[in-house]
Amino acid sequence: MPTSRLFVAFALVLSLLAPSVAAALSKTELVEILKVVDERQRNQGDWRSLVYMEQKEKDKVDVAYEALVFRRSQDQRFIILFTKPKASQGQGYLRIDKNLWFYDPSVGKWERKTERERIGGTNSRRSDFDESRLAEEYGPEDLGQEKLGAYTAQVMKLTGKPNIDLAFPVIKLWVDKETKNVLKRQEFALSGRLLRTSYYPRWKKTYSESKKTDVYYPEEMRFYDEVEKANSTFILVKSVDMHPLEQNLFTKAWLESKSR
Amino acid sequence: MGFLLDLRIAFRSLFQHSRRTFFLASAIAGVTALLILLNALSTGVSETMIRAATTLSTGHVNVGGFFKVTSSAGGPIVTDYQKVIDAVKKSVPEMESMVHRGRGWAKIISDLGSTQAGITGLDIKNEPGFRKVIELKSGRLEDLAEPNTMMVFESQVERLKVKVGDAVTLSAQTTRGAANTIDCRIVAIAKDMGLMSKFGVFVPVETTRALYQLRSDTTGAIHIYLKPKFIPDVTAIAARLRGQLEKLGWAVMDADPNPFWMKFQTVAREDWTGQKLDVTTWEDEVSFITWTLTVLKGLTAVLLTILIAIVVTGIMNTMWIAIRERTREIGTLRAIGMQRGGVLRMFLYESLLLGLIGTGTGALAGAGLGAAINAARIHVPLSVQLFLMSDRVQLALHGGGLVRAALFITLVTTLAALYPAYRAARLKPVSAMSHFG
Repeated sequence: MPTSRLFVAFALVLSLLAPSVAAALSKTELVEILKVVDERQRNQGDWRSLVYMEQKEKDKVDVAYEALVFRRSQDQRFIILFTKPKASQGQGYLRIDKNLWFYDPSVGKWERKTERERIGGTNSRRSDFDESRLAEEYGPEDLGQEKLGAYTAQVMKLTGKPNIDLAFPVIKLWVDKETKNVLKRQEFALSGRLLRTSYYPRWKKTYSESKKTDVYYPEEMRFYDEVEKANSTFILVKSVDMHPLEQNLFTKAWLESKSR
Repeated sequence: MGFLLDLRIAFRSLFQHSRRTFFLASAIAGVTALLILLNALSTGVSETMIRAATTLSTGHVNVGGFFKVTSSAGGPIVTDYQKVIDAVKKSVPEMESMVHRGRGWAKIISDLGSTQAGITGLDIKNEPGFRKVIELKSGRLEDLAEPNTMMVFESQVERLKVKVGDAVTLSAQTTRGAANTIDCRIVAIAKDMGLMSKFGVFVPVETTRALYQLRSDTTGAIHIYLKPKFIPDVTAIAARLRGQLEKLGWAVMDADPNPFWMKFQTVAREDWTGQKLDVTTWEDEVSFITWTLTVLKGLTAVLLTILIAIVVTGIMNTMWIAIRERTREIGTLRAIGMQRGGVLRMFLYESLLLGLIGTGTGALAGAGLGAAINAARIHVPLSVQLFLMSDRVQLALHGGGLVRAALFITLVTTLAALYPAYRAARLKPVSAMSHFG
């Protein structure tokens, strides 16, 4: 091959590599992106929303749930109270003092659950309804940029920090370069196997009095089980309200009273 | 001499009233056969339960326990298990053998199905008892020595739609709550062993450690197998071992007659962290199914009480009729010198002979029928398996049980004749001889 053609080929390869080399971000930059992702979703106050969940499982009838979600940023308190279907009505999860409790009115007992519990038997976890704490919980690694439909996404691999108990020790995250909304997540087991792929196709914002700015939240979440391919969970977040909640709301007594 | 004479009179009397004797003996034989069959069924269920339980999920005595990383996260783990084994060896001289097994709960996913199951990790090379009891349908148990392999039961095959050589994924949470998976190859499919085999699979102990991210000095539980003569003393032996382990410095959970998987909630509610040992017996570990045995024994007792009441009434009535028919004969015998005791014995012997003939025939019939049922290997549906602890009807026919049943019914029939015989003995010779009727 003549030298001139070799040079052209080398220049071509370089030009192809150039954008990705240029796009490579340092760990600090990635952490900053994660902080923005978290910050946009943090409301620094109380949160109330109505959530619809639909669970599809192979060889089973589809199940739809309706639940109320309450959150308090100050002490990371959290409640999910199921209102539909009738069989689940009154059941609820309460997170206080870093403990997740489940209440079933049919037996009238509280059960302590792990933070990684599947909510209502669906493929959703407590963290899917809670504030984002990615920068706090994971260390990022750059995987370059990728086109996801019309969006350009910053892709990164997140590895759980030591001594933090996480449901998914490794996450692959697609963040919209422009808005910093999460577009897609893939969650992996310790073994490295892909367990769940999540899509966040619709983001909304609501003005928060406590934060004095807009708070962003995914209005729609779609979780696809990658081990049992036929299983999926669809979540719709509606009627978000960030006004202060009752002081005594995050208590076992309150949840029990709503379960009667 | 007198005994033989009394016996001869009793025998001739039975022979003379052959029709009545036949019906009564048939009734006694029927009750005896039923007693034998019901006893054989409950003994069969009990033996199957012990056999299945001590093969699949428990020793006669177990040292298990929980290790909690935080107050809400933990698992069924015994850490530094070799030290526990050493303590057990010193504390339980009644022990015949001992194995240790990993414990867990996971979702098993194949290409065509999934199921939740208890995961038992074992070292197949050190499980001679397991190899003797498990009946394979396909594959090789020896292959369980290889890492990431699995033995499943027939009923799980139906749900997972797998065969030997297929791969499945085990999905579970580690003790710290992180999701983990492990791929396993099916190396053996075993025949079902009743209800207990529906919810458990077996993997090498290293696979359970890898799935739950445990160190090599951890296990799920130590199963202690006792010499047969000490098996009835399991509760006392477990209580003694609990005390010994406490003395040696381990934190030990209070005695709780429930299987380990029913204790997760109780343990999660408590605020302690670290290791606590739990000493249980095989009866504790299968307590969730022993109620079936209690129900079966209760039903047997009720049914037998009713049947025995009927037989006792029948015998007493028959004796009253016989005494009435033979009042003059009694008077004559008394007149020629037979003492009251002789009359009493004559009727008692008659009843005893009747009992022996009836129970002997019943025992033979019951044993024959039981053997035929066993030979037929009658397969039962799942709902019945819940009670029988087996996928087929299995009756335990033991010689001792047959003899005990026959002697018990004979004793009952003899005692039933005691009062009529006593009344016959009290008859005055003169009034008896002049009796018409």
